Amino acid sequence: MNKRNRRDISGGAGNGGIRKSDFQSMSSGKAKIWEEEQDAGGGGGVDELLAVLGYKVKCSEMNDVADKLEQLEMVMGAAPNLLCDTVHYNPSDLSGWLQSMLSELNNPPNTLNYRMLQSHHIDDPLHVRAESSSVTTNPQQQQFETTQSARIYDDDSEYDLRAIPGSAAYPQTQDGELNRKRLKTSGGSNSAPPLLPSSSPIVGVAAAGTVSEPTRSIVLVDSHETGVQLVHTLMACAEAVQQDNLKLADALVKRVELLAASQAGAMGKVATYFAEALARRIYKIYPQDCLDASSSDILQMHFYETCPYLKFAHFTANQAILEAFATASKVHVIDFGLKQGMQWPALIQALALRPGGPPAFRLTGIGPPQADNMDALQQVGWKLAQLAEAIGVEFQFRGFVANSLADIDPSMVDVRPDEAVAVNSVFELHPMLARPGAIDKVLSSIKSMKPKIFTIVEQEANHNGPFFVERFNEALHYYSSLFDSLEGSGLVPPTQDLLMSEVYLGEQICNVVASDGADRVERHETLTQWRARMGMAGFEPVHLGSNAFRQASMLLALFAGGNGYRVEENNGCLMLGWHTRPLIATSAWQLIVSDSP
Amino acid sequence: MAASNEVNLNESKMVVPLNTWVLISNFKLAYNLLRRPDGTFDRHLAEFLDRKVPANTKPVLGVFSFDVIIDRSTSLLSRIYRSADGEQPQLNIADLEKPVTAEVVPVIIFFHGGSFAHSSANSAIYDTLCRRLVAICKVVVVSVNYRRAPENRYPCAYDDGWAALNWVNSSSWLQSKDSKVHIYLAGDSSGGNIVHHVALRAVESGIEVLGNILLNPMFGGQERTESEKRLDGKYFVTIQDRDWYWRAFLPEGEDRDHPACNPFGPKGNFLEGIKFPKSLVVVASLDLIQDRQLAYVKGLEKAGQKVKLLYLEQATIGFYLLPNNNHFYTVMDEISNFVGSDC
Repeated sequence: MNKRNRRDISGGAGNGGIRKSDFQSMSSGKAKIWEEEQDAGGGGGVDELLAVLGYKVKCSEMNDVADKLEQLEMVMGAAPNLLCDTVHYNPSDLSGWLQSMLSELNNPPNTLNYRMLQSHHIDDPLHVRAESSSVTTNPQQQQFETTQSARIYDDDSEYDLRAIPGSAAYPQTQDGELNRKRLKTSGGSNSAPPLLPSSSPIVGVAAAGTVSEPTRSIVLVDSHETGVQLVHTLMACAEAVQQDNLKLADALVKRVELLAASQAGAMGKVATYFAEALARRIYKIYPQDCLDASSSDILQMHFYETCPYLKFAHFTANQAILEAFATASKVHVIDFGLKQGMQWPALIQALALRPGGPPAFRLTGIGPPQADNMDALQQVGWKLAQLAEAIGVEFQFRGFVANSLADIDPSMVDVRPDEAVAVNSVFELHPMLARPGAIDKVLSSIKSMKPKIFTIVEQEANHNGPFFVERFNEALHYYSSLFDSLEGSGLVPPTQDLLMSEVYLGEQICNVVASDGADRVERHETLTQWRARMGMAGFEPVHLGSNAFRQASMLLALFAGGNGYRVEENNGCLMLGWHTRPLIATSAWQLIVSDSP
Repeated sequence: MAASNEVNLNESKMVVPLNTWVLISNFKLAYNLLRRPDGTFDRHLAEFLDRKVPANTKPVLGVFSFDVIIDRSTSLLSRIYRSADGEQPQLNIADLEKPVTAEVVPVIIFFHGGSFAHSSANSAIYDTLCRRLVAICKVVVVSVNYRRAPENRYPCAYDDGWAALNWVNSSSWLQSKDSKVHIYLAGDSSGGNIVHHVALRAVESGIEVLGNILLNPMFGGQERTESEKRLDGKYFVTIQDRDWYWRAFLPEGEDRDHPACNPFGPKGNFLEGIKFPKSLVVVASLDLIQDRQLAYVKGLEKAGQKVKLLYLEQATIGFYLLPNNNHFYTVMDEISNFVGSDC
């Protein structure tokens, strides 16, 4: 094996005719780049040049990585199709990625083990407590569907149970790629739900923590449309507000409203919302609790229908939950924000189709108090129970009303020792950052629930910086991209869903810009920031892999109007964005296993 | 068979630094997983594996970037890279398209490589390369996220390049003091091929391109050349994979003498008498398609066009992806001179 010192570029097989002295004569700019990009660390450090390209490889393991590449090369040369069903994880960890392929080649995945579950058991209806309610179904004989098509349930409620196909429901795609996969019957990514190959490293080790510098990423529509003047005026207004120059701010906000009125498209709409929020701040008309919970839920439903962000959130979180549940016979999902329960029909369907039969499924749904005292949680629980019964999944539901997640006492949640627990939070963690100590309390509660997996979906943005102008500018760029993507769905004339979606986002804008203190709940933070927080709280990542990525991408092609949506893999997490700007991120976590090798 | 494989692996390992070998071998492995024998491409896995980076309006080592959607109907996006003049910690949206201030600012329209099928403008390898171009050569770079094969065959990539050229040409903030945009086209691998064809269209429509920079450009032909046979499989690339990519890019039923692939071949056009931009063509001596690249240079010379050949001994494909070898700096120097002398 020919070990080469990276610095020795004149040795070996020739140096292209450049003399060493030429380096001295290079301009300082070039030499500077050379120095800054050379790896400073010796054996312990990561190769800096590869790191910049997205690959984390320790200098000390470079040779080992090269060996693995050679081994794989040999095998692939001899039998190119061996790895075509592999599920890949975290390609940035080059060594890990290569090793997982090598392991798979050495230990091919088992063919499916069909476990026959115990005969059904009947749950006693739970005692109804004052602040919680529960729903139980008693399915008759265990029946599970073996068809591969989606079941569509007629339901005159607002549910659209077709909204997310369970992983079993594969629609026809344009390209032939899916057909090819369908022919395989091994437990790869195309059968539902996916069983893990025995050697697949679903549990990833925490990535070498490189907390990167925050970036500000901007996607501009062609400048003819951007309304640069509009943006400039908005930012100047925000500056004036920060400097408490309210007279100037007032003049500027009026100017923005004028400009926005004549600005076509997404930019005009975004500007209007931001202007309104600025006006509230200037005139100190602080919004009360903007909306009651049920109105807020309705707005979110419209948002759900119009664009794929929530569907992606539910889909990717469900994928991680399914994989974590694997072959568990009793599972318990704790949903931090039940709302209309849109995430769960697909999971229930997927569980029903699990080879070996579905587990007993308990769902604990948490929600805020409702203005009209109707037990909204109970209603959602009932709908889900009906679905579960229809497809033969044993189901129990309990709802909890809580003003804040920090008020939840883990003992109330009734986690049982023999069940696999998943905690799920879609956009519910960032509000905890509004009150000191709340997030720590919540994370601590979650830990005591001993979840097998904790799925988090959050907006990919930093709207929680200490300075108003900085927050304002970040939010302006973020919501501009978001509105642009709504525009891209091409709904003309705009449907009610689209308009309500804009209102939904407008509420968030209002909160970010016009509120402060405990009222400012839209405290979005980036994946990088959440990673740091989760690490400190004692969690480690569970990686989402190429199967989840693939299915999410295919889902996007089905449901999304505009073709600007992009799924991106980021160190084991998945992000959905508009063109090159990630907008939401799904990550999955587990408690740090103290005795891991 | 195994024995000769071993020889091949060892040979390529001897001519590049280890981390370069790891990088390019990693791509080779990944790309093998993506190409299917029936000509289809696993796009989802490709996007999953590709390492991407966001644009960043916060200057890093003096360079900032942002993305622009040039054409909504095709979702054509480009990433713009500029030098941050002054010490502004972060640029606002209004600053992004602020007019360039120097007397003459070369604008390089860059087409990333990937054999028409792989990578994107926001792929880490190309984002990094473009940043280095700005820092070293003192240019503005517009990196075009053109549509890729096999989903989008010829001429989509060229159409996108053409759209980008028009956009750059009509962007007043990119004009030098003489109220003209000083445009250069650059690209590696398939990007180099795109450079040639976009330059052709520019000539036909009267948009002035000041120069073409082709880095290991991707050309081919029906006949097997000597270098292809000699170097097949030795330095990361095989004839088989080259054939696959041409089949994926060219119109169905066309062979490799199609002018897109073989511009000066039996079905090609010679460029005598037309005002084609001057060209800088970089050829790596261990690139198996070098005979085609050298033939391209000859074709330009025969047509009386100005061309400089930079033939790099012991260079493989992808040498410019890491600044850990002489060739990288040689090429950067040459590009600097090329765009610096507006003649």
